[in-house]
Amino acid sequence: MSAAKPEAQVARIADDGSIYAGAQRNLWQDAARRFRKNWLAVAGLVVIALFLILALIGPHIAPYDFLEQNIVKAFQGSSAEHLLGVDDLGRDILSRMLHGARTAALVAFFTTIISLVIGVLVGGWAGIRGGRTDEFLMWISDLIQAMPGLLLVILINTTLRRPIINWFDALYEQTRNSFYLNTLWLDYVLVFSALALIGWPGLARLIRGQVLSIGEEDYVLAARALGASERHIMGRHVIPNAMGPLVVAVTAGMGGAILLEASLSFLGIGIQPPNASWGSMLQEGLRYWQIFPHLMLIPAVTIGIVQVAFVFLGDGLNDALDPRRNS
Amino acid sequence: MASFLFIRLLRWSVGLMLILFVTYAMMYYGAGDPIRMMFIQGEDFDTEDEAVMRALRAKYGLDEPFLVQFSNYISHLLQGDWGRSIRLQVDRPVLEIVQFRLPISMQLGFAATLIAAVVGVTLGVVAALYHNRWLDRLIITSVLFVTSIPIFVIGPMLLLLLVLILKWIDVPYGWNGLFHIDAALPVAVIAIGPLPGIVRQTRSAMLEVKSQQYITTARAKGVSESRIILRHMLRPVMTPVITTLGLIMIALINGSLFVELIYNIPGFGLLTIEGIRTVDYPIIMAVAVVGTLIIFVSNFLVDMIYPILDPRVRVQ
Repeated sequence: MSAAKPEAQVARIADDGSIYAGAQRNLWQDAARRFRKNWLAVAGLVVIALFLILALIGPHIAPYDFLEQNIVKAFQGSSAEHLLGVDDLGRDILSRMLHGARTAALVAFFTTIISLVIGVLVGGWAGIRGGRTDEFLMWISDLIQAMPGLLLVILINTTLRRPIINWFDALYEQTRNSFYLNTLWLDYVLVFSALALIGWPGLARLIRGQVLSIGEEDYVLAARALGASERHIMGRHVIPNAMGPLVVAVTAGMGGAILLEASLSFLGIGIQPPNASWGSMLQEGLRYWQIFPHLMLIPAVTIGIVQVAFVFLGDGLNDALDPRRNS
Repeated sequence: MASFLFIRLLRWSVGLMLILFVTYAMMYYGAGDPIRMMFIQGEDFDTEDEAVMRALRAKYGLDEPFLVQFSNYISHLLQGDWGRSIRLQVDRPVLEIVQFRLPISMQLGFAATLIAAVVGVTLGVVAALYHNRWLDRLIITSVLFVTSIPIFVIGPMLLLLLVLILKWIDVPYGWNGLFHIDAALPVAVIAIGPLPGIVRQTRSAMLEVKSQQYITTARAKGVSESRIILRHMLRPVMTPVITTLGLIMIALINGSLFVELIYNIPGFGLLTIEGIRTVDYPIIMAVAVVGTLIIFVSNFLVDMIYPILDPRVRVQ
């Protein structure tokens, strides 16, 4: 749009302690620089990018229908026809893994969005209102956080399914709208909402803390003293400074959601067959682990790699986005 | 002190009641009628005989309205009657089942905590002593790596490695006591869960303690380095580690769910899964009671131990 501005020069301190004149960088450029130095985090980012791409295009490049059974071929190992082999019902494992990737990505995406919305609303409200409202909201989030999350999710998942199906049946009776007959996607909605329910308290607490602490910072006071509008303060100071920890928390939340979904499906509670999920593939494969280990090994290794990638990415972002870390 | 205790107890009783109420409500309105499910899933009964079902429901008090059922449950519970299992182990008193299952998981949990604490504190101390050097980074990175792999991935993979590839052990199956070789793998796998928290807490506490003046004083007086670590550093380091006991307990509960399922150990974690799969109300409620109590008691212990370890807290 505009002609390139001459870059502002500021004094910088090199790694060896010498001072030099360098280009002025903002928080994000600084963070990106620090992030690139951490090769484990970069590797994590690459793995997750690959995973997301496969989740997006996977079902289109899958060599077979993930439901297609060919019982004659059951338990076959890797071959040219079936790169990752065939499972106990003769289904192509590669195709099922690709569909499982989509399930995992969907869960990560929606769970994070839902818990982020609740977290921002509750945390923001608690931070701004303070007093009784704050106390009550934080008491609730403490109570949820004190519980073993997995048990809570199991309970929600097993108990909410039936009432919702009944409710949909009743709606179908009334409206004759066939939309209410399809309950296949219900598993997904249940998993999303159960996971979001235990995911939001952490985010709410973080956002409340950010609202409280950044509002007290000297630079906000200075901006206010200079006559900056509330909107300017929010847009220029509060939100950009709150973003760093939020990005880290959201990354961790996505990894956590994938883990919990796999855990649920492993316990036979989450995504139900015939939908494909890495967790349920692992659990089904475990039955034959002594004779056909590949059934179990493929989903296990994949879940492991994705989890490790998320953890290292989150760790790297945490280091990169906290300017105090490096000084 | 007495009023502090009283307020705590009051708060927790309210919390426990709330959790039990919500759990029972979700069971009642959501999970479905265990008697009907018994008839649908059981192969012996293909007729849905309403009269039989009504009689069975009456037997377990399941024909009452929700609030009556719930208050019955609570009043029985207060008298020490945990009800009888409906489907899992038909008619067996739930208390008896809990008394059999819980000690198994507790033994696994205690052994795992012990291992996690020893390994975690050692790693944390070593990492802090070599702060920002390669050993520190190696410890932090490898702990992060190992603990980011889910238990239900590590469990089967270790099984594969130790049984099929290395052939070091036979397939561990069931529960043969804590000191049987079969318990080694489950304990090790459960111990992974609480490890990162312990290492991180120890390391950061140790870093803080390291630069304290009394350490410099001790060193100036010629106290040996090992004595400084053991006598002067470890106690202030333990304090923040103890505060994570609540989180450790959650990690143990999570761990025992998967480990007991993978290795077929008839502990409390497996009971939880079985209870939920069979919609056995009294079992699920017992799980809620015991689980909540474990969390509350561990938080209570933290509050009690903390002032002993850190005298500064007592002053306030």
